[in-house]
Amino acid sequence: MGQIILGVGDYGASNNPQDDIKTFALGSCVSVIFLDPQTRSIGMAHIALPDSTINKAKAIEKPGYFADTAIPALLAQMAKLGCDKRGKGIKVKLCGGANVMDTNDTFQIGKRNALAIKKILWSYGMGAIAEDLGGNYSRTVSISVEAGQITLSSPGKPNWQL
Amino acid sequence: MVKKIAPDELQKIVASVPMISASASRLLQITAQADHELMDVVTLVKTDANLTARILKVVNSAAYGLVNRITSVDRAVSYLGQQVIVSIAIESCAGELFSKELSGYEAVGGDLWKHDLRAAIAAREVVIQSGADLSPDLAFTAGLLHDIGKALISDYLRGSAPEAVELISSHDSLDYLAAEEQLVGVDHTVAGEALARAWQLPPELVTVIRHHHHPAMAEEAWRPLVYAVHLGDSIAMIGGFGTGSDSMRYKLDPHYADYFQINANILANVMLVVDTEFNKLSESLSDQGEKS
Repeated sequence: MGQIILGVGDYGASNNPQDDIKTFALGSCVSVIFLDPQTRSIGMAHIALPDSTINKAKAIEKPGYFADTAIPALLAQMAKLGCDKRGKGIKVKLCGGANVMDTNDTFQIGKRNALAIKKILWSYGMGAIAEDLGGNYSRTVSISVEAGQITLSSPGKPNWQL
Repeated sequence: MVKKIAPDELQKIVASVPMISASASRLLQITAQADHELMDVVTLVKTDANLTARILKVVNSAAYGLVNRITSVDRAVSYLGQQVIVSIAIESCAGELFSKELSGYEAVGGDLWKHDLRAAIAAREVVIQSGADLSPDLAFTAGLLHDIGKALISDYLRGSAPEAVELISSHDSLDYLAAEEQLVGVDHTVAGEALARAWQLPPELVTVIRHHHHPAMAEEAWRPLVYAVHLGDSIAMIGGFGTGSDSMRYKLDPHYADYFQINANILANVMLVVDTEFNKLSESLSDQGEKS
């Protein structure tokens, strides 16, 4: 079994049923997960910030870092596996986007990430069928390509599924 | 069921932790002074053969990719800069403490050091990018040391993470600091302060360690520094580098705005720099092999 580990700003996709895709400790970052039943492919991006205009060089070097560049990059990656390049038929799930307690607007990066991602997905006519967003805790997310089952974990909490 | 730490027991725990070396202690004192110079650091490093060797190893490591080897302390200190020197000194003499597995927080070994390094870089960047009148070097050092208390109480918290998480979920007024206090009688800032005093750290660093979750309680003179670390700590956690079960479970004091002008764009830029600098710094500190 292969394990594809995604760091901050990474994205990846697989149609190998032996693979798991995993990303560790999402704080305010959001994991976007694409599931394509047609090709039995799974894709994931670990998005750190909402908008690439603050650092275009970084967006070129690591498109998965920003919501507005990560979604097209992940769709292009999925298209290589035979998925529709505009995301038709792809199911979307979202996890992460936490915030520290009693935070103010400036520090609500988790919320801004989730909003930016949803806005970009809408521009493709896509919407999340399930989400586990917000709260005051970090999440580690893992998905098996074969079962398409998402498992979340957080220190001090029992694992749960999405 | 976790066991409470009695007041006299805390002193025993502190006494069981190795002292930092005299040169590291002196280095922290010198670098906390606003008017210190690079030569003060060079002179001090030269008195410690182990620290000198470690610094030369880091500067000549593959991470820096120098064409010509650096063999003099003067050049190495000047090339690496104060923040790297302080990181090397702390890691060299208290590395065991920082790399300890924090089982009480369900965090693996090394998580504390990574969190502290990111909090240090973030605190420094908050100061630089907001244009605050505060030493970025001092904010970095304070960020590096702010959570040392967790290494002291972690063993006592073993098995308590689910209970701590549940306590916070069911009581809006509680954060993880209050949960620690309720569970073992001592929170990590109190334990950290005791260790900082035993290590004879300068008063501003002791204050940061004690009040980084409640900066408004710090002495007024050190408050901007404490707020810088308060923000650095939060930024490290929201960036996904916490220390396990307590990550994100602290309150943000909005009065940081009295000292630092930060908007969403500045915060995003700080987070970008933290990612880049953290990778660079951790690579150079962990690189044991010298460039051939």
